[in-house]
Amino acid sequence: MLDKILTENFRRTLKLVFTDIQNQQDRRDEQEFAKDEVRIKDRLLDTFISYSPDVILNNDFRIAAIDGSGSDSLMTLDDIRIHFISTSTVVVDTNTRSENLFSPIDRDRLEHELGEQPHIDLHWHSGVRNDARDKLAETLANIYPLKDVTSLTLPFFQDYTKGKISSFSDFSETEYEKHIPRLREMESLISREQLLTNPTVHEEIRKTSEYAAARKVLMSDINPKYLLLDGAMSVFMHFVRHFPSMPSGFMLRDLCALARQKEVVLCAVSKNHTIPFAHRIANLARDAFGGSAKWFCHLPSSEDPEGGLHIYDDRTYIPPILAVPYLYSFSRDNRPSRIDFDRIWWLENIFVPGDPEATRTNEKALFAELEFMSRDARWYGYPVPLALAHESCKLSYEDLRLAKEVCMDVRAEMNLERRDAQPLRADYDL
Amino acid sequence: MSLDKDKLGELYGKVGAGNQTSLGIMGSNRDISVGEIFLIYSHRDGHERVFFFRVLGLENYLRQVDDLARVAGTLMVEGDAYLSGIERNMLLSVGGRMLGYAEDKDGKWDFHSPRRLPDHLASVYRPIPGTSDENVRNMLEGQIDGEVYVGDLQVGETTLDVPIRIPSKYLPMHVGIFGSTGAGKSNLMMVLIKSIIDNNLNAFRRPNQALPRISAFCIDPHDEFAKGVDKYGIQHVVEDMSPSTRSEVLGDFYYLTTHKRATTREIRKYAREIRILWSEIQPRDLYSIREFTPEMSSFIDAQYSVAKEDWISSIVNMAEDDAGVPVGTLRAVKRRLSFLERSPIFIEKGTSILSDIFYAMETGRILVVNTSLMSDMEQFLLTTIVTRTLSDMRRALKSSGNLSDFENQGQMRLPKPFFENVKKQARAFYGLGGVGDDTPVQDPRKLPVIQVTVEEAPSILNPELMRGQSVFKDISRQGRKFNIGLLVVSQQVSVLDNVILSQMNTEINLRLGNEREIRACVENASVNISGFEDEFRVMSRGEAIVTQSYRELPLPAKIPLFDDIYEKDRHRYKDKESKKKQEHIL
Repeated sequence: MLDKILTENFRRTLKLVFTDIQNQQDRRDEQEFAKDEVRIKDRLLDTFISYSPDVILNNDFRIAAIDGSGSDSLMTLDDIRIHFISTSTVVVDTNTRSENLFSPIDRDRLEHELGEQPHIDLHWHSGVRNDARDKLAETLANIYPLKDVTSLTLPFFQDYTKGKISSFSDFSETEYEKHIPRLREMESLISREQLLTNPTVHEEIRKTSEYAAARKVLMSDINPKYLLLDGAMSVFMHFVRHFPSMPSGFMLRDLCALARQKEVVLCAVSKNHTIPFAHRIANLARDAFGGSAKWFCHLPSSEDPEGGLHIYDDRTYIPPILAVPYLYSFSRDNRPSRIDFDRIWWLENIFVPGDPEATRTNEKALFAELEFMSRDARWYGYPVPLALAHESCKLSYEDLRLAKEVCMDVRAEMNLERRDAQPLRADYDL
Repeated sequence: MSLDKDKLGELYGKVGAGNQTSLGIMGSNRDISVGEIFLIYSHRDGHERVFFFRVLGLENYLRQVDDLARVAGTLMVEGDAYLSGIERNMLLSVGGRMLGYAEDKDGKWDFHSPRRLPDHLASVYRPIPGTSDENVRNMLEGQIDGEVYVGDLQVGETTLDVPIRIPSKYLPMHVGIFGSTGAGKSNLMMVLIKSIIDNNLNAFRRPNQALPRISAFCIDPHDEFAKGVDKYGIQHVVEDMSPSTRSEVLGDFYYLTTHKRATTREIRKYAREIRILWSEIQPRDLYSIREFTPEMSSFIDAQYSVAKEDWISSIVNMAEDDAGVPVGTLRAVKRRLSFLERSPIFIEKGTSILSDIFYAMETGRILVVNTSLMSDMEQFLLTTIVTRTLSDMRRALKSSGNLSDFENQGQMRLPKPFFENVKKQARAFYGLGGVGDDTPVQDPRKLPVIQVTVEEAPSILNPELMRGQSVFKDISRQGRKFNIGLLVVSQQVSVLDNVILSQMNTEINLRLGNEREIRACVENASVNISGFEDEFRVMSRGEAIVTQSYRELPLPAKIPLFDDIYEKDRHRYKDKESKKKQEHIL
């Protein structure tokens, strides 16, 4: 392949693609961004006063973070695939009084509260009709601690209808009334059953496993001030039914409601932000505050004063439903990242109606704390608890190879037919 | 038997990767130094073993950090950066060599070369002085016991109470002391002399145990052994003894010097002047210390066969016409002998000290020879004459069945005036229970071990001189037969002749001057110490690696200061019984 990649022809093809992007997308985005530029610079982008390295907080606090990893093919048995999911929770303490900043809390204590870390889940399904959905529903129900599906779905409707629906009886005479039977079983919450490919199933289980871990944190005595998730707070909606197309969407809203109740700041940090023109926003920040400044930029929605930005007018997933995203950068060496907050929490705790200055003061305090937890030299600019959770759960190629060997060992122990756990392509040295 | 692992030291880490030669250990973030010795407890297949591991390299290891340089850079550039919970992830990756292992056999520890590997993830212990000493002493017993104390087992920058000794029976297999200026050679020599005195004192005090006595002819090129480098010297040991003990252990004198009158009053009491008669010098003594052309040596040999012991006088006084050799050869030989005419030590007539030296060496004594006022040639010739005389006497003995044979052999091998002078005494030493002609002779190996110091060894133990008729060539190869060993002291290893290096079975390697010497030292060590190069580079004064062909373990030693061990041991030299008796009289 390299002989093709290194040719002039390949370079020419690339040039065509970039020209195409330039002509079609960038030009349009540029025009849209021009409409937003002043607003971003003047009212959405800001910097903040970061904590001194030797600060001693009046109230040291804890931060929990959850990350997951896995493989959708731990072992392939003809049309059956065994999924492997690892999920890790890390809790750190700001510890400014002991100078041992952001040290993880004792592992025994953590495991006593949350169970073994990292936590491992396995799942399998076959190609038999409906088997993917049935088994997925079964696995999700097993993993997620809240077993009552009715209670699981309600928080979404409460938040989405701004409190109009606060119990199942409120569904009557609403567009959701006809869907009530679907909202009682985990299986019927899966409304994208036609698209249940292996990666989709894997992604759903992984998310559920992470959300399950988050719920355990919220229900424990750990009492963190922040609970950080990896990714975005996106909820994929059913276009017709107007509620989440997969159970994880309901779970996220359940978590948001529970976090608000427990006074925990729930947020999701995403390195792959998909925010258009993020690099231009970063340039604006650099011009405004200098190259080494640490900054954030609110990405408003259509419901906010002055409405959403033109740049993502046609990008319906930004901002996500019931979430408030920000673009931020705490390190001059890295590209900006994105953080999402629960919109209901944001409206209650950050946004001050009719007082943009007070809103900005709240935002600055919030980002000062987030920045303080993002100074670990190993992952400077990225929240250290999330990085530690990532390190703890990540499944390396070598880990997976060993896990596959264990699979074969166990089958041998059970006197089952010997089946190779390596990918089928390995048989042909591919 | 199950070992109390707490007595091995503090638990330090776990064995990682490696083989039976070198290992990697992952250990806690402690202040470890190159040269430390760790003990690895292993229990594989029912065999309880303790492996000895020597640290040769260290590397900081941070778990969860792939690029340490980048993290360090971030800490530097971003002044507010921290490392969360990093303490528990800060580890030391320790690389080093397996030295061997001790295995319990019926309640006794045997030490073996590193031909096995510790168990998977075996626990590694760091010895602690005061805790681990007894265990280590027991496990290394076969590696450290002997009569001549050298120093204490060094484990990094500290030492354990584990004395390292050289067995006297291996002294005739020659000992090398290598170290650059300031490495601690003089102090080591003083420690060795004291140790030999201690051994002889012990032998004297416990006659029933038939302990071997050791004699040492110790060249002191800077005249510091007797007085000491700092506070104390051998003289203090001598003075601490009661007259009777002193007489038995040290005789009437222990100090030889060129000018007795220049000696301090205290030492003068135990001093003799070095005087050697020309008649006691043999041609090969001279061949051993400088090069002679074949013509010159033929001429000298011819003169020696004619004039015998008067060969030097004969040549020195020879007229150029009478020589029967080219004038150039005669002149050259005369020039080479001219230093004898000027020397206050080598005299044509007078009283020689050589018989007294012989007597001292055959009775297990030490002699400190102040050569500070001698020329190099004088010093080398003195060493050579003494070595050759002692070895020829023992050779004569070894070649004899009874004292009559011995006398014949001695007359053949040694200068007549000297042999006539010592003959009577020699018969007393060498006769097995009598002095009659028929009396069988002793086995030389039952006589005191004689250790002769060769200072500035490269000057006479170099390949050029050793190719000829050097007396040291014979001694290096055959010394063990006669119980005579060389103590070769040198700043360099690389320039010494291979014959002596290959015959040397004990090396005390101190700090060396340069890479070439380190390489030569590692190559010529009696046990494999490859990989120790880095350690030689960081050695401090008084630190040594002792290698012995008859032992598996290269032993890192810290040689104590003479003053310290003298202060610790000085009470031993007092004669307790005589003191008690005195008190009773009073």
